[in-house]
Amino acid sequence: MSSVQGLQEDCEELLGAFQKADTVRFERFAEMWRERRFHTIFYGRIRALERNKLTKKTLELAQQYFLPPYAFQIRVGALYLLYGLYNAQLCQPKQKIRIALKDWPEIQRFQRDLIDSQHYDAAYIFRALRLARAFHFTAMPKLLNYRTKKKIGEKEFKEEFKDQSNRVNSLITNNALEELMNIHDHYQKMKCVISADRSQPDKALSLIKDDLVVNLKDITLEYQEWQQNRMKLFLNAKETGEILNKKEEETLLESEGSERANALARIKYKSYSAVVEASKSRRHRQVKLESSESGLNYRKSPNKSRKNKRPQPARRRDSLEVE
Amino acid sequence: YEAAELYTRAFRLGALGHCWRQQLGPPDLSLAAEAAAGTDAAVAAELGCTAETAAELRAVCSIDMLIPSDKEKDPDVIPEDSSLLTLRIRKKALEKREEVIIVDRACRQETLAYEMESYAAGKRPDNLTDLVDEGELLLTLNIFYPVIFQKHKDHKPYQTVLVLGSQKLTELRDSISCVSDLQIGGEFSSQPDQAPEHISKDLYKSAFFYFEGTFYNDKRYPECRDLSRTVIEWSETHDRGYGNLQSVKMEDYTFNDLSLKIGFPYLFCHQGDCEHIIIVTDTRLIHHDDCLDRNLYPLLIKKHWLCTRKCFVCKKYTARWVTNKDSLAPVDPCLFCDVCFRMLHYDAEGNKLGEFLAYPYVDPGIFN
Repeated sequence: MSSVQGLQEDCEELLGAFQKADTVRFERFAEMWRERRFHTIFYGRIRALERNKLTKKTLELAQQYFLPPYAFQIRVGALYLLYGLYNAQLCQPKQKIRIALKDWPEIQRFQRDLIDSQHYDAAYIFRALRLARAFHFTAMPKLLNYRTKKKIGEKEFKEEFKDQSNRVNSLITNNALEELMNIHDHYQKMKCVISADRSQPDKALSLIKDDLVVNLKDITLEYQEWQQNRMKLFLNAKETGEILNKKEEETLLESEGSERANALARIKYKSYSAVVEASKSRRHRQVKLESSESGLNYRKSPNKSRKNKRPQPARRRDSLEVE
Repeated sequence: YEAAELYTRAFRLGALGHCWRQQLGPPDLSLAAEAAAGTDAAVAAELGCTAETAAELRAVCSIDMLIPSDKEKDPDVIPEDSSLLTLRIRKKALEKREEVIIVDRACRQETLAYEMESYAAGKRPDNLTDLVDEGELLLTLNIFYPVIFQKHKDHKPYQTVLVLGSQKLTELRDSISCVSDLQIGGEFSSQPDQAPEHISKDLYKSAFFYFEGTFYNDKRYPECRDLSRTVIEWSETHDRGYGNLQSVKMEDYTFNDLSLKIGFPYLFCHQGDCEHIIIVTDTRLIHHDDCLDRNLYPLLIKKHWLCTRKCFVCKKYTARWVTNKDSLAPVDPCLFCDVCFRMLHYDAEGNKLGEFLAYPYVDPGIFN
């Protein structure tokens, strides 16, 4: 169903300001809310039926920010936002906030975190909402209907609100690295045992890079750094974007958008070319080279304009063939 | 407000209720009218802070911090210099409406729709045994009409019904009102006064629901036949990939016993060939603002408005007769209201004039 026009922008603007203020205090939020006179968001000559629908959609939008993967500060802001919207609504009886069963344990954990870190105002507000029975406890967060022909666009939420969800980090954890190290040592020892010279593995047996684990760790760190830099740059771009004139703004945004698209294209290319180009014995070597190269690329040129980015995949492929 | 093209996997509805009830405490589930705010001491105990902090919290976090108490502000008027994009857009839309629409008032359909949605909200029964239990599951079902008109093919009209988890399937079946139930079979041109009162609902009582590979047949009356037997036999003749289809009695099951996918279409069939699609769009726990009178469920909250077709002659009354091969009528088939029908086709003594076949007509809009 269609969304309320302009609502996402307003909510994101408020939450963005709250995030920038770098606080989780309700007083600060209330200040910002009052500044924008957010309680008037339901005003306007709207008849009852339409108003019900509008309020439902508003609460649903705000509720999405309350759940992971959003950063802690955004979630607290969303809690305050829900509190405000729930009480500012003009429907009688009040429309409720829907919570799905799968999200409830997460919300419980969130509440406990709030209490443990002594963010009493946020915990109080959650308690107040719960006492006022502002929640509908449902199976699914959204109402579902089955319609074969309509296509619903995916809503894009702001990148900066999202917690730095690091897939690479969650895969290559310290434990995993330790285990890899152990296996690697074991492997090396095995090789020593079966080769002629007891202290060193045979040359013929060296099929992988010796400093595999160290490299992996370095690459992961590089990736993290890159991600942080990118986020900073994104934020800077957003700020300076308002000062620059429209054209430059467009190229900046374009370059970010295309950066993402190109990053995706690169990853796809990587997987394809790794399968196609490398011969079996050299496959491990191939993979190493590519990822380190991509790390370097990212560090050097986070802000390259679109033109320079396009030949990159082609360039890499050439480098592989040379290999 | 509904996400299309998504549906969940099948799960037992009763289990959902159970899971939620385990997670929540009595104050969440209670259906009492309004909850008390709680004393400062309670706040302090729950949050692990001091009593002074609790009092401070009450002051700082009160809703007055967000909503100014300037009661003279009219919620209908959008403030002039609003910084909110939503309001600016809304204002433009409203101004455009004022230019275009002369009288801005809710039409009948809108009033009806709103009333249907909200008339039962918060209703409590006089008799306390009829009160819905706490922690009861509430389902929202969309029941689609069988396609009668071509124009409905893309957006099928539907009615929305609220059902309690503990209600039997038979109760839902009884509440579905379909025009095919009211059809009167037979040709009555020779004896228009003797159109029998037996409607199809009384004659053909069989019906079934199909959920997740099981047919739930209505077996309450001896006349009810197992309509699903044909389908089951068909699927068993060859390996058509439908797995095992079961057939059970509808009256033995409540909604809590079923495993359903939310957002997935299921079937209700009655009168042998009148099929309705049923989709469960929502399951949630009952709330004190919902209708709490068990007798009112299954509760109809949304119905599609079908225009009734009027008599071709007077264009005032709803059609009650339809004629075929009528030498006196301009078109075939032709609809008449009772008065016009008799005036045209029968003389003062009640003799039939001209050649025609006449059938009683039940308009789909009869439930408006």
